[in-house]
Amino acid sequence: MKELSELIFVDGLRYTEDHEWVTTNGDTLRVGITDYAQDQMGDVVFVEAPEVGTELNKGDEFGTIESVKAVSELFLPVSGKIVAVNEDLDDAPELVNEDPYKNWLVEIKPSDPSELEGLLTVEAYKELLKG
Amino acid sequence: METTKTTVLHDFHCQQGANMASFGNYDMPLWYKSGTKAEHLAVIDSAGIFDTSHMAVVTVKGNGARALLQYALTKDIDSCIGINKTPLTEGRCVYGLFLDNDGLVIDDAIVYCLGDESYMVVVNAGMGGDIAVHLKALAGSGAVVIEDLTDRVGKMDIQGPNSAKVLKKIVKDPKSLFEKLMYFSFKGGFGSCISSSTVELKDGTKVLVSRTGYTGEFGFELFVEIGALVPLWNQILEAGKEFSVIPCGLAARDSLRAGAVLPLSHQDIGHWPFANTPWSFALADRDEAGNFTKDFHGAKALLKSTWTRHTLAFAGFDPRKIGAEEANYVADSEGRKIGKILTCTTDMAIGRVDGEILSIAGNKELKVKGLCCGFVLLDVARQPGETVFLTDGKRKIEVEIRADVRPQRTARAPIGTMVD
Repeated sequence: MKELSELIFVDGLRYTEDHEWVTTNGDTLRVGITDYAQDQMGDVVFVEAPEVGTELNKGDEFGTIESVKAVSELFLPVSGKIVAVNEDLDDAPELVNEDPYKNWLVEIKPSDPSELEGLLTVEAYKELLKG
Repeated sequence: METTKTTVLHDFHCQQGANMASFGNYDMPLWYKSGTKAEHLAVIDSAGIFDTSHMAVVTVKGNGARALLQYALTKDIDSCIGINKTPLTEGRCVYGLFLDNDGLVIDDAIVYCLGDESYMVVVNAGMGGDIAVHLKALAGSGAVVIEDLTDRVGKMDIQGPNSAKVLKKIVKDPKSLFEKLMYFSFKGGFGSCISSSTVELKDGTKVLVSRTGYTGEFGFELFVEIGALVPLWNQILEAGKEFSVIPCGLAARDSLRAGAVLPLSHQDIGHWPFANTPWSFALADRDEAGNFTKDFHGAKALLKSTWTRHTLAFAGFDPRKIGAEEANYVADSEGRKIGKILTCTTDMAIGRVDGEILSIAGNKELKVKGLCCGFVLLDVARQPGETVFLTDGKRKIEVEIRADVRPQRTARAPIGTMVD
């Protein structure tokens, strides 16, 4: 298991208490899991993503990520419509372990972009992990 | 609660950045930095090593030792070796169970015949004390000496097709070690567990080399005195470099054994009657009337048991799992609850091609994503090929009841083909 000092964080992203990250990509948002999350889960063997077009509220479960250890639910960090899912993960779910910040899970068109401001900054997320 | 224990390899696990968790009250590695998938595949392709010194060893010696084990163990040790069912003799070992008076499983075990009235019994983590007490109770006031060697034995496994090639580099006389070392046989000894054969490493360390394991693949379980384990581990890692041998954690051990349809004690077998399972080979044979060929502790209860539930192996159609948590269950096609999930993991070396399960073993071109597999305990009988559904109430995955899961396993490969 990685020590806090070994974990990778990316400045400028927003984070959640469920160990997801969010970044803006034009007028949409991309969502992935953090290095801490992938390290805790172990090898990812399957990512179950929602249908494109699904509309969900902040906090709703939008899919699952399966590792060798367990099945983890994924929760939407902001309300909106799923506009894309990362199809690269269908054939190579291990990409999430290799580079969790490059390999996003879903892209959302937010219904209330201001919700993004309510998420954790990188500093706040680091504090959360320190416990 | 008892404080969590560690094995002598604990420092190694931590230095290697292993993801640790408590198992059987020992702080053990789940996986190392290479990850479970790489560890699982290393055992299929080459070899991997496992710290198994959390397991317990109990010795049973003295006049009456054999008779005691013949009564305590479910397997008939006078009729268990090979197709001719010859008796357990020195250098051979056998898998069986210890049942309580009600026919419920206390633990599973491998019993090693070290010599005349001298046996070594290997049981699961934390079970040494319980099994020693159980055997002492059955022994009564006889001359049998039962000793629990918990935390006093060093044990590690090397598993995978290159295991003998690695071992060959560090033992003094590989030719005599590997000669006729068939599946479920052993040579050598250590500490107080001595047989008439000796196996020494090049550095003089005495070792008991057993052609057994818990992965379904070719390999060995190695026993040494506890102080010799870390040096042995390091020698094997060094010798294994040219074969890309890596340390493997409990997660890979779990996915490998599930694909090999081997039970985990206290999870797939446990405090319920041992009946209608894929592992009836752990019991004494039965005659035409259905009676066991020998009496053993728990046999009467087992014969009278009204247990109608069935433990069955399954494999899915992709890697998705539903965990074995209490709230999750097995449903039929109508959604009716028909049982519980005992084990659910992903064998990452297999996939389905036109419905058939294939392994990457000997088929390097094959690209697989892995299949979920494990065991269910059903209230109803189901035949191989029939499907059931695992569900957590929200997600539902279809799985197929199987007689076997991962094909092309190497555990029983002729040793002559595995050394050079």
